[in-house]
Amino acid sequence: MPHPQVNLRLGGAVLAMVLALACGTARATDWQLSIDTRLVSSDADRSVMDGGFGPVRFDREDAALQLGRLRLALTQAIAELWSVHLDASVYDDKGGALAGFSEAFVQWRPYPRAGYRLRLKAGGFYAPVSLENRAAGWDSPYTLSYSAIDSWLAVEVRTLGLEANLDWLGTRLGHDFDLGVTAAVFGWNQGAGTVLAGTGFSLTDRQTPLFGRVGQPGPPLPTSSEPFVQIDGRLGGYGGLEARYLDRLTLRVLRYDNRADPSATNTVANTIAWNTRFTSAGLRAESAGGWTGIVQWLQGETRIAPGGFEIEWPFESAYALVSRRWGPHTFSGRYDRFSVEVRGIDGDGAQSGHAWTAAYGFEPNAHWRFTLEWLQVQASSYNRDEYVGSPWSVQTQVQLAVRYSLGSTNR
Amino acid sequence: MRPPARRRKPFPVASLLMLLGVLACPAAGAANLVIRLQAMDGKVVPGAVITARPIDATARKAAAVHAVMDQVDRAFVPDVLVVPVGSTVTFPNSDSISHQIYSFSSAKRFQLPLYRGTPYPPVLFDQPGVVTLGCNIHDEMLAYLVVTDAPYFGRTDSAGSWSADLGPGRYRISIWHPRLHSDGADLERELTVGSDDRAEITVRLAKPLAPAPVNRPHSWDY
Repeated sequence: MPHPQVNLRLGGAVLAMVLALACGTARATDWQLSIDTRLVSSDADRSVMDGGFGPVRFDREDAALQLGRLRLALTQAIAELWSVHLDASVYDDKGGALAGFSEAFVQWRPYPRAGYRLRLKAGGFYAPVSLENRAAGWDSPYTLSYSAIDSWLAVEVRTLGLEANLDWLGTRLGHDFDLGVTAAVFGWNQGAGTVLAGTGFSLTDRQTPLFGRVGQPGPPLPTSSEPFVQIDGRLGGYGGLEARYLDRLTLRVLRYDNRADPSATNTVANTIAWNTRFTSAGLRAESAGGWTGIVQWLQGETRIAPGGFEIEWPFESAYALVSRRWGPHTFSGRYDRFSVEVRGIDGDGAQSGHAWTAAYGFEPNAHWRFTLEWLQVQASSYNRDEYVGSPWSVQTQVQLAVRYSLGSTNR
Repeated sequence: MRPPARRRKPFPVASLLMLLGVLACPAAGAANLVIRLQAMDGKVVPGAVITARPIDATARKAAAVHAVMDQVDRAFVPDVLVVPVGSTVTFPNSDSISHQIYSFSSAKRFQLPLYRGTPYPPVLFDQPGVVTLGCNIHDEMLAYLVVTDAPYFGRTDSAGSWSADLGPGRYRISIWHPRLHSDGADLERELTVGSDDRAEITVRLAKPLAPAPVNRPHSWDY
């Protein structure tokens, strides 16, 4: 698979191409640049981001000052109905930097006709699951750390393929509802499930770049993963529904199956195909008074069967989030619970726990955002018992984030 | 001497409107008609579009105008624009980002890509009706153009009032509001204006308005 440095070069080439397109056409480029720095205090185990079993992004060995995210996003119209979207990020990576595209896709967006609207996307992007990560760069406007569900998607799950979305715009026809259906075919996500089976759920906001890796390769802990690989010749797919009541309620349901053959292996790269399937459902409600409530649930399983020896990890997570906004101030609280079981071997990868997140955000203008977040994860993990010493842990991470953004979209 | 005011019979509660007011009908000339619009709970309803169309006489037509529907901070400004049939509207795009304005309403179907810094010719609205405007890039953008063939029209002010000087005769009064879903027929009433004095009507809606859009920061949705 492409090495991160290769990704950077590839990214540079794509970026240069888009900029050249932007210069060569009358159509404007919409862009956004942001830098997010963090002051961090954590008593957590070595992070899953560093190849450990710690369930949060920053651990007790991390320096207090961290790069949260450096992000450049470009949207270039290449014809009236076609546009290219690139979302590039640099994250801290234990002394180095992890860089690449979290999303990169071409979109075809014809104008709606008779109340129906079709959209096609090709490239790498997120499946429409998350109800909290609605802001630019697939970030959450409520908390710094994503829910366990969305953290898992950020780490391991991405669509590399083609997605079609058909919306019925009832609210444009005098009704109170909009309805939408989504279907996609994709490949290169047959490593999804590796981190979940190895270290369980975590709460992070570091998005693995397309074709990037999770964790650190090599000993002592073999928890490096490359989620974006294709091992057999099979394509995955998902289908989803969305219903909206005005701009108050959003309901999303999605069924995902990467359809990998669990017995397929790549002996050269020493990788196994992980067959990962899940169903998710969520509801977001908003009030005119500034309240947001979100409940989301996700359940699925990931399995491998190298040489016919099948091991399966069923997993489930749910969260409830409540947020209240007063002008530039946003107060949010979230409760997550999560579990990973294992069938076929003795306990390896099993995890059960819950987490509390409390965050205060202050957004005085379009450029600055300040966020203070407290996150505590209480979990029991088989692998923590094996490698760290005891299964049960209470781990706390506190972050103060300062983000500055500029660009054509928020001048 | 001013004749006594005639109390009108309220319209059935089952309809969308209840006329609660008093219509004073003196002798001759033009009357100043004031309509006050209230929600079910008695709160004033600003921003509603009211039109008055003569039933008997051949109405003079309101002159076509040139109006502006701007795009400011990812919103249409104004959110509702009422223009006479035959008017033209310019969409200048004061934002630093691109928009793609569309309508698939039967009164006017059009598409208009608005890239910043590029002026676009005005759009002609030559059929009466409500034109729902959207942006193909920013879903949260929504506005309405009410194209009317009525000689008298306007929007209720912050006190929920609209007024016009009408000649004597019978009129069809129509009320439209973006948050009052209706096919229009149940929001129309006939009214007789008789004279040169002031007539005030309070109209109370018998159906609740849909909730107003949530005012959330742009940074929340990309």
